[in-house]
Formats: sequence, structure tokens, C-alpha cells
Amino acid sequence: MAGLGRAALLLSLGLVVYAVVAGSYAAWKRRRRLALSAQNALLASFGSTLVAALVLWSALARRDFSFVYVSEHINHSLPLGYALSAFWGGQEGSLLLWLLILSGYAALAVWLNRRTRDLIAWVVPVLAGVAVFFAFMLCFVSSPFKTAPAPADGAGMVPSLQNPYMLAHPPLLYLGYVGLTIPFAFAMGALLSRRTDERWIVATRRWTLAAWTFLGVGQLLGAHWAYVEIGWGGYYAWDPVENAALMPWLAATAFLHSVMIQEKRGMLKLWNMILVALAFCLSIFGTFLTRSGVINSIHSFSQSPLGGWFLGFIAFVTAFSVVLIYVRLPLLRTRTKLESLVSREAAFLYNNLLLVAFCLTILWGVVYPLLTEALRGETRSVSKPYYNFFLHSFGLPLLLVMGIGPLIAWRRASLRALGKMFLLPLAAAVVTGVALIALGLGSSTPGLLAYTFSAFVAVSIALEFWRGTRATGSLMRLVARNRRRYGGYLVHAAVLLFAIGVAGSSAYQTVRERGLRPGQSMAVAGYTLTYEQLQSRQESNALATRARIDVSRGGSHVTTLYPGKNSYPVAPGGPTTSNEVSIYHDPRNLGDVFLIADQIDKSGTLYLKALVKPLVNLIWAAGFLFVFGSLVAMWPDAVEQRRLAERYAAGAVAA
Amino acid sequence: MRRSPARLVIALSVAAALAVFVVYTAVAGAGTPQIQPYDLARHHGHVLLVGKVVTSRGDAHSPEGLRFVLRNVTGHPAARARVVYHGSVPDPYKVGREVVVTGALSNGTFVADTGSLSTKCPSKYQPAKSTT
Amino acid sequence: MTLGLVAGAVLAVLAVLYVARPFLREPTPSSDVLDEPGELERRRLELVEERDRALLALKELEFDHRTGKITDGDYRAVVGPLRRRAAAALQALEPRAEARHERIPSSR
Repeated sequence: MAGLGRAALLLSLGLVVYAVVAGSYAAWKRRRRLALSAQNALLASFGSTLVAALVLWSALARRDFSFVYVSEHINHSLPLGYALSAFWGGQEGSLLLWLLILSGYAALAVWLNRRTRDLIAWVVPVLAGVAVFFAFMLCFVSSPFKTAPAPADGAGMVPSLQNPYMLAHPPLLYLGYVGLTIPFAFAMGALLSRRTDERWIVATRRWTLAAWTFLGVGQLLGAHWAYVEIGWGGYYAWDPVENAALMPWLAATAFLHSVMIQEKRGMLKLWNMILVALAFCLSIFGTFLTRSGVINSIHSFSQSPLGGWFLGFIAFVTAFSVVLIYVRLPLLRTRTKLESLVSREAAFLYNNLLLVAFCLTILWGVVYPLLTEALRGETRSVSKPYYNFFLHSFGLPLLLVMGIGPLIAWRRASLRALGKMFLLPLAAAVVTGVALIALGLGSSTPGLLAYTFSAFVAVSIALEFWRGTRATGSLMRLVARNRRRYGGYLVHAAVLLFAIGVAGSSAYQTVRERGLRPGQSMAVAGYTLTYEQLQSRQESNALATRARIDVSRGGSHVTTLYPGKNSYPVAPGGPTTSNEVSIYHDPRNLGDVFLIADQIDKSGTLYLKALVKPLVNLIWAAGFLFVFGSLVAMWPDAVEQRRLAERYAAGAVAA
Repeated sequence: MRRSPARLVIALSVAAALAVFVVYTAVAGAGTPQIQPYDLARHHGHVLLVGKVVTSRGDAHSPEGLRFVLRNVTGHPAARARVVYHGSVPDPYKVGREVVVTGALSNGTFVADTGSLSTKCPSKYQPAKSTT
Repeated sequence: MTLGLVAGAVLAVLAVLYVARPFLREPTPSSDVLDEPGELERRRLELVEERDRALLALKELEFDHRTGKITDGDYRAVVGPLRRRAAAALQALEPRAEARHERIPSSR
């Protein structure tokens, strides 16, 4: 079976190489049948990649330890779901997942847009070119189909990865990362085919939104996994691999906004090309960071041979994009100008600049160790204070612009109109700020600003819905007729919830640590935590030790929590212990009481770390609203579909 | 013909962003040196020490702290650094694991910042052990 | 292993057939030229996009006015030029639409 897998991957490589070579020639020389043949090759590569993927999944399901990949990542006792998820648990498998999703997306995107032949003729070789890289790596550098004499049992999966969030986090991230290839390919295809119209934007609008949504949800799931599983009390550590997903997401966010300006005003054509290329390059860079082990990161893995290849590919893609954009600059010039600095276009522009600035400062922080080592011979790194500084410097103004933008009209807005629109949100912001200070919550300036701006944004979004409903007569009609706009406002509301949750759980959290003997208590943020006893029980693959903690408030019992440790005698890399946190979700403040059994002595002394994190659950709730808003924004509008179909129907007879 | 203010906005915004960046770097300094045990003696300030755990004893929650010895991850296999640490110890920590800790050298011992110890996630991506 | 090789070979044959399909279906086509929009079609697309932008801008202007985002004065200042832009785009498309309808019957 491994032979079939290898053959399928070699076939995929052959097909995409053909698609690049034949497709480029066909597009250049305008050969219709050859272009169709290249298109078919790209579609067929999805089929052969799927066969390779099924071979690996089958080996994982059957626990075929003659596959080296299978023996290194699972064992007999691992439940089937986690065994199948080991597909993306290792380097080779995750590269295969990249190729599978890429070829699937490519096949679908090309099929749906097959009637725009001149554009697709160039899109096919661009997509195939990206696929060539991954197929080549899988065939010759990092194959998932290496075999060896099968051991009696496999190495198993790291216990912290045996978690439902880890089933979904990598595939969703990849659906996001890889999805950014589609708008990139269409943008480059448009430049290569010298098309000045917006066909490429219309064709990829939903793709970009879907990829961006997947990337956002994937990151949120990863953060939630870190929160409940890793158990250090946080959800984001500005680790390079975490930043690797955030950077393309920020670039894609900027692109989603600025592309609206191009559609509505015909402006920012060059900027959009740069953004879509930046988002794609960052998604490849993110994959490179995770694979190469080049940056010191708690996620980084052993130095792998992939690093050099990835770096070469990133350099090639960057050079290709820059050269093509430069050569086609005349096509990207526009006559339309920004009429006023106080307009929705200008607000979108400020939003873009802030997003890109934030993205680039994160990029700088991530590559800083590499640069200092290369230039000074000494590695220096930046950490939380650096990132938090720029999160506050750029993130807070972004939050504010999110509230200001919807209140301003297109083209220009008079001060009188602005005053009228801003009055209520501004009042809400001031009242919130004053109230927070009066309640003694003004200790954190960033937290105070975040809440004040959040009040502004919340009222501005609510007013948009209220005014719109009043104008159209019904909320459903309002949203149905303006899906992108109001879906976008729902996504803004999700971002707002997220910001409130982050501000509350970081700026206003309380942390206490104490060593406790049974019977002893500690106080934290109005709660009393009493360590009652230690309990142990044998589970199927681990010895679970739990400390029974009574949680009370004002003398009344609230709940019982059981933080502790699991000891796994058998795990990859030898016996291991994992932290098992215990969390109480407090409905009063939508926050958590988060307990970590930092250390349990043989004498029964418990070193308990307690965190009270107000509003943290808003972060996770925001995810649901984020998905809902994105779906609303993406939902097809029959009227608009007809208009676009009429616009792009072949009009004049071909020359 | 009226010129678009977009370019001015972009130029001013880029200048503002760079100014924010320069202010930060001037105030907070340009990063923390990231070094291995071999280079520790040459650094007297606050550093980020990366190494592999050779020996370990003590209790991170006791007054004496957790005391461990690190060696280089790459090169200079004989180099050693003695570390004393207080605070949370990540579960993956054990002898043989790669760790990262911040602190400063004091009288020949690296005194780590409380709670600054982190370990690398157990590697998911093992180098290929065998080939077909 | 043999089954794997056979399956691989079948896969390869199917793939090659699919790739060759355009040539197999039309061994001697009347035209093998890849369509691309001519100058006329590109100009039409430009005008259609301009028309759609203008109409959309008008629609949004009306909506923003109804929701109170734009004052009456601002509305009056902007609606005139926008309507003229939309009208100009519609007018520029008219001759092309007529020419297209005339040409299509004659090409058959």
C-alpha cells in the first residue's frame, strides 16, 4: 500500500508539473485545447493526492506500523479518532494535508470559473506552481510513505495532543492558510492575462472570506486548547508559531477591507495586489516557521531539512510577485482619487495601515533573532512586552476605527453629520470610562481605553442596525439586502467581544500562588479556595492525581474543582506528566476561576496557582458570532449573482 | 487638478508607525540576548538562556529553589551553566529536555526570573529514523 | 504490493486519459485559439463596472441619507454628480449593447 501512496504522489507531481509547463505555454500562445488539458491535469492532481491521503489514513486506521510515519505517531491503544488525526500530527502528514487541501481548492476554484478562460488559463499554472513545491517535498524530501520492519507497537501520541480541539485546530488552520493561495493565484492570473477588470476579485471574494474565517477560527481553537490543555493560565504567548498564523490573518483582514474600496471606488488596485501577495507569502512563511525549527519557539521542532527548501520557495514567490506587479504597474493605475480624509474610504485606509503596521511589527519581532544573529553574530529576541506594546499602539486605534468607519458616509462627511452620528457612541464611551474609574477599575490604562473604545464601537454597531431597520422596516430585510455590510458588522461585534474578553482577562485578572496542606485555604478576588484532600485513580493510560478544592464566596459554597496531574507511563519520549487544570465558569462576570496544581509533593502539599479571569468566556463566545457574521457576509445574494453573471457573460464576439 | 490626499495620509501614517517603533526601541532596548551556556560568562545583563537539562534537583517552590545544570544544545558539548529557579515548572520539564529560561548570571550561578522557565513542546516532527 | 502497483497503474492511465481528453474529443478542431477579451470587450467590462459602481454608490447614498448618516445638504451636493456619472456610464454602454445585438445574428 505504501507503494500506491508513493505512486500517487509521484503522479500528482507529474500532473502539476505538466499543468505549470503546458498551462504557461498554452496561456502565452493562446492554445485552447492545451489550456484545457493543463486544467484537467490540475483537477486530476486532486484525485491522485486524495488517493495518497486515503492510503495514509487507511494505514493509520489499520495501525499499519510498517509505515514509519504511523509507528512514530500512534500506537494500538490510541482511540480511532486521534489515530486518524495523526495524519496532521507529523511533518510529512501535514505537508500532505497542505497538498490535499490545495489541490481540492484549486480544482474547485478552477471548475467554478472555467468560463473565464483567459483568466483561468493563467490561474492554472500559478496554482500548479505552488502545488509543485509541496508535491516535490513529499516525493523527495519528506515522504509519509517510508517503510521499515513493523515494531510491535507504535510510539503513541503526545497526551496533550489527545484533545478534541487538536482534532480541529490544524485542519481549520490549513483550510485558512491554503485558502489564501486562491486569491493570490487569481490576482497573479489577472496580471499575467493583463486584465484590468475586477473579475479576479469577484471570483475570489468568498474564497478569501472563507479562508480568513477558517484561519481565525483555527487560531481561536488553538488558543482555547492552550488555555484548557497546556494549563499555564493563558491562551496566547506571542510564540513565533502562534504569530505565524496571526500575520497572514491580519494581512487578509486588511485585504478584505481594501478590496471593498476597489469594488466601490475603483481605487487601491496596486495596494490590493501587494496585500494579496503579502497574505499568501506570510502563509507560506508561517508554514516555514513551523517546519524549519529556525526560530526558538516552544512549538519549534527539531531542525528539519525542509527549512532551506521553504526559504527558497518563499524567496521565489516574493520575487515573482514583486516583478510581476512592477511589470504590470501601468494596468494598476487609477484615475479615482480619495476625495476627503473624513470619509469611509479614508477610514478603511487608516484601518489598512494600522493592520499592516501591526502585522509588520509582529513579523519584525519573529525574525529579529535571525536578523541579529546574521548581522551581529549574537541572537537577540523580543517577547511579551514588545508585542503588547504594539498591540496597544495599533490595536486600540484599530478598535476605535472599527467604530468610526461605519458612522461615516462614502466620499465625504461633513462635520455636522459626524457630530450627529458620533454623539451617542461618544456619550457611551465617556460614561463607560467615568464609571470604570469610579468603580476603581482605572488601574490599567490600556484596559480602560479598550473598554471605552469598546463602548463606542458597541453603540455605533447597535445604531447601524437600529437605523437600518427603521429605514427598511424589518431587520431580516435589512440584513438580506445588505449581507456583506451587516454580516461585516456582526463580525465587528465579534471582534469587539473578543477585545473586551482579552482586556478583562489580562488587564483585570488576579493571580495568587500558595503552598497548601489539606485543610488550608487561600483567598483570591473574593473567592476562598480550601484544599480538602488528594485523590488518585487509575485511568486507561494514566494515573490521575487530583486535589479536591472547595470554592466558596461570601461563606457560601460555589463549586468543587479538581486540578491535578496525569502521569503517563507510556508516551513518545518516555514517561510524562501533564497538567490538568480545573475551571469554574462564573456566570456573574462571564469569567473563570482557573486552578492549576503547580506541584504536588509526596507529603501531600499542593502548590496551587489560582487565576480569576473576568470576561474571558467572551473570547470563546466571540468565535461563534465571528462564524455567524462571516456566513451572513458570504451568503449568496441572488440579485447580485444575476448582476455579476450578466456583467461577465461573454459579450462581444471573440476577435 | 486636485491631488489625492491618500499619498500624504500613507506617508504620514508610515512615519507615525516608524516613530512609535523607534520610541519603543529607544525606551525598551533592542531585545534580549538569546544565548547558550557556552556564551553565558560573556554576558552580564539580563539574558534568555537556552539549553538542555543535564542534572536536576530540589524543589522550585522551596526557598532553595530548583537547581539544574544546562548544556549547549548545539556545539561546545562540555559547556555547562548552573541555574537556580523558583516558580512554576512546566510538566514536560525533565532531564534531557530543552528549556528556555530568562535571568542573569550572579556569582557563577544563573539566577532565573521567577516563573520564566519554559520547555519546548515534545517534538512532533522526529527526523526520519529509517528509509525504505 | 502487486495490488498497489496495479492500482497505481490504473490511476496513471486514467489521469493521462483525462489530461489528453481535450485532444481526444477534438482531434481536428476548427479553431484552437484561446478566447480572450478583445479591446471592445475590455472596454465594455470597464464601462459595466463603472456603471455598477455608480448605481451602487447611488443606492448606498440613498440608504445613508435615509438612515441619517448624510445631511440633506451633503446629499444634495453628492447625488447630482453621482447621477450624472451613472447616466454617462449607461449611455456609454448603449451603443455597445446595440452593436452586440446586431453583430450576433450576422456571425451565425
